[in-house]
Amino acid sequence: MTGDTVLEIRALSKSFGPTPANRLIDFSLARGEIHGLIGENGSGKSTLISQVAGLYSPDSGTMWLNGEPYAPRSPLDANEKRVSMVMQELGVVSSLPVGVNVFLGRTRAFSKFGIVSLKSLNRAAQEQFEKWDLPRADFHALAEGMTVESRKMIELARAMSVDPEILILDEITQSLSYNNRNILYGLLEKFKSMGRSAIVITHDVEELISITDRITVLRDGAVAGVLQSASATADEVKRLMVGREISGEYYRSDTSPSFDGTKPVLSVRSMTVDGKVEDISFDVHQGEILGFCGISDSGIHTVGRAVYGLEKLSSGHVLLEGRQLSSPTQALRSNMAYVPKDRDNDALMMSASVWENFSLPSISELTGKAFFVSPFRLRALAQKMTEKMSVKCRDISQAMTDLSGGNKQKVNLGRWLAKDIKLLILDCPTRGVDVGVKAYIYSLMKEAKAAGMAIILISDELTEVLGMSDRLCVMKDRALKAIIPRGDEFTEHSLIKVMV
Amino acid sequence: MGNYKKNIITAAILVAALAAVFLLFNAVSGGKFLELENLTVVISHIIYPAFTAWGLSFLFACGYTDMSVGGVVVLAAFASNVFGNRYGYPGVVVAGVAVGTLLIFVNFNIFAYTKIPSWIASISLAMIYEAFGFYLKTNNATKSLVTTALSRDYRQLGQLPWSAVLLVVGFAAAYIVYNRTTVGLNIRAIGGNKEVSRAMGVNVNRTLTWVGLISGLFIGAAAVVQISYSGLMTVKTGLTSMSIIFQPLAIVLLAQIMKKRVNIIIAVPICSLIIYSIFNLLTILHVPSGTLQEACLGAFLILFGIIGQRGSKGVVK
Repeated sequence: MTGDTVLEIRALSKSFGPTPANRLIDFSLARGEIHGLIGENGSGKSTLISQVAGLYSPDSGTMWLNGEPYAPRSPLDANEKRVSMVMQELGVVSSLPVGVNVFLGRTRAFSKFGIVSLKSLNRAAQEQFEKWDLPRADFHALAEGMTVESRKMIELARAMSVDPEILILDEITQSLSYNNRNILYGLLEKFKSMGRSAIVITHDVEELISITDRITVLRDGAVAGVLQSASATADEVKRLMVGREISGEYYRSDTSPSFDGTKPVLSVRSMTVDGKVEDISFDVHQGEILGFCGISDSGIHTVGRAVYGLEKLSSGHVLLEGRQLSSPTQALRSNMAYVPKDRDNDALMMSASVWENFSLPSISELTGKAFFVSPFRLRALAQKMTEKMSVKCRDISQAMTDLSGGNKQKVNLGRWLAKDIKLLILDCPTRGVDVGVKAYIYSLMKEAKAAGMAIILISDELTEVLGMSDRLCVMKDRALKAIIPRGDEFTEHSLIKVMV
Repeated sequence: MGNYKKNIITAAILVAALAAVFLLFNAVSGGKFLELENLTVVISHIIYPAFTAWGLSFLFACGYTDMSVGGVVVLAAFASNVFGNRYGYPGVVVAGVAVGTLLIFVNFNIFAYTKIPSWIASISLAMIYEAFGFYLKTNNATKSLVTTALSRDYRQLGQLPWSAVLLVVGFAAAYIVYNRTTVGLNIRAIGGNKEVSRAMGVNVNRTLTWVGLISGLFIGAAAVVQISYSGLMTVKTGLTSMSIIFQPLAIVLLAQIMKKRVNIIIAVPICSLIIYSIFNLLTILHVPSGTLQEACLGAFLILFGIIGQRGSKGVVK
């Protein structure tokens, strides 16, 4: 711990109806400290920081900011007290330009006689991007159509623009690729050197240990322990999180590719999507996990979308067991499935129920005579998968919006595993999920691989693709630069050499 | 390429495309379309739909729908007519704008505080406004007031050049409010993502109240233009008032298609011009007015939508 205490929390409690989310939480943040917060999905991390950021009011307990009682009435009030936050799921307003998004809610500061000067506003936004070395952005352009990563950078600039004394980051690193993570780490270092403090939530235990000074572990809404990062180990953090000893290794333990190389399930030849990827060729075999990694804008996410038919190919072709595919309908009919990175916007029907989300891809298989779809069969399938995937929900009629990130991802993944899938494309499947769910997803992938399913694993986390892939496609500048088989060269160092 | 250069190129392409379309119309109509007298008719006819479309643009920008706008126009025009005949121009302008603003303001408070989906609440409101208008028209005490045409002495705002002056003033006001004021940006923010806006400190209910006021001002102004142009407003029940906003609605849809390249406030008068020009051409070509002309407009909208959506998703919500 360095310096004096900037934020002090004592006996903070918060319940939602009968469910306690935070129970008598004690927490302190020192000046110039990066403090990590970790816990399983539903452990109360987001609730705790939401109270610090003014999104919720505590039921009981006290907070002090710089020794003064602190009870923000709204995020804007927290901002005025120089506390800002980048939230996991909030996002930006697509219909507004990037510059306006940075200062949304504070545009009055740039107005004279009621008229907002977009020139000064954009200049101020640019200053924030430059000050914190954020990637360049077009401040006049609408946020519509931007990637999750670019949107997160806008949110980060928005949080930094209030000149915060305390910065709260809620699981944003998992939205970022290797280079932008480094930008964020640099920002945190600079922030710390200015004597400012940050609270960082991430499910990546190793990352948390490496970038923080202290770690508070939450379990079931209460503090399970506080560790000094310098002396903490990943296993110790995981044990505190889940309350029992868990294996340190949830990735594959073998050191060489293990699949039948004679039977390519998918063949991609000279695939080009204008401005996004160029001349990509690869095969995926039965029982193979083919990984894709690269820095932001390298094109890895486009590969997944293009193979599934969501991007129009300007040249080349995609063949599944010899049959050419060009649309998601064809892909789905040929038993291919795709789990996108942006779970809430691109994958799930958030206002629909768990059973509707589980059964949607299987409706054609469950359609009976005279096009009649039995609701009982749909619900039975959803019930079976809810149990199989251990989805924590009240019942299958519960709306998806009420579920935690990990449980949403279980539904997202499980609905495809309910089908007889030949090729599964997973784009950042463990984004926003805790170590427990992460381990579960990896075990499902291992099971699917053993059953002969071909898997394309696209990820911004190098440890994930290294840990799970048989072969790894490394992309740079929208082109495929190397395909590395599992073996001696399978290290972060060798990947970064190609990626950067 | 810089934004300034991009804007210049877009404007140049737009002007060239409009010129080409009008030359084509002129050729098809045997030279009648570009006659000065016909152009005067076209410009006179685009003012009312442009004002209504601006009002609708603010409504749609914040993610709400108001099906009672036609009913509001009828009542505002009645007020403009009655008070205009009594107090002259101040009566025409103040009464029309005040009633339009007041009713849309009431609508938005109902949407904001009752949480009833706006399209459901506004259909109910449309029925109420129509019924009230019909009552005014049939009641012995008010019948003569609303069925007497607005005196020709006070109808300059519906005629050129004053109607064009009104259009320019309306355009400047709409452009500034929509693009350059905190309330305009907040309105667009709410329509884009209400939760983000709320978290960023935008007061959603207060902003919705502002939408009611701003949109109401434009709808009220549209009623003033309409009564000044036609002199008399008719009213029927059975949701027929919704037909009054058919053209403005088509204009907003078209403007939304163009939104990716042209600011919606600029697109509105352009689309107004395009749509009325089509009607005008069809009339010159003796295509029966009413259903057949509207079918042509519908087909045109679909065609424009297909062209506008090329290469992108979700142009029109």
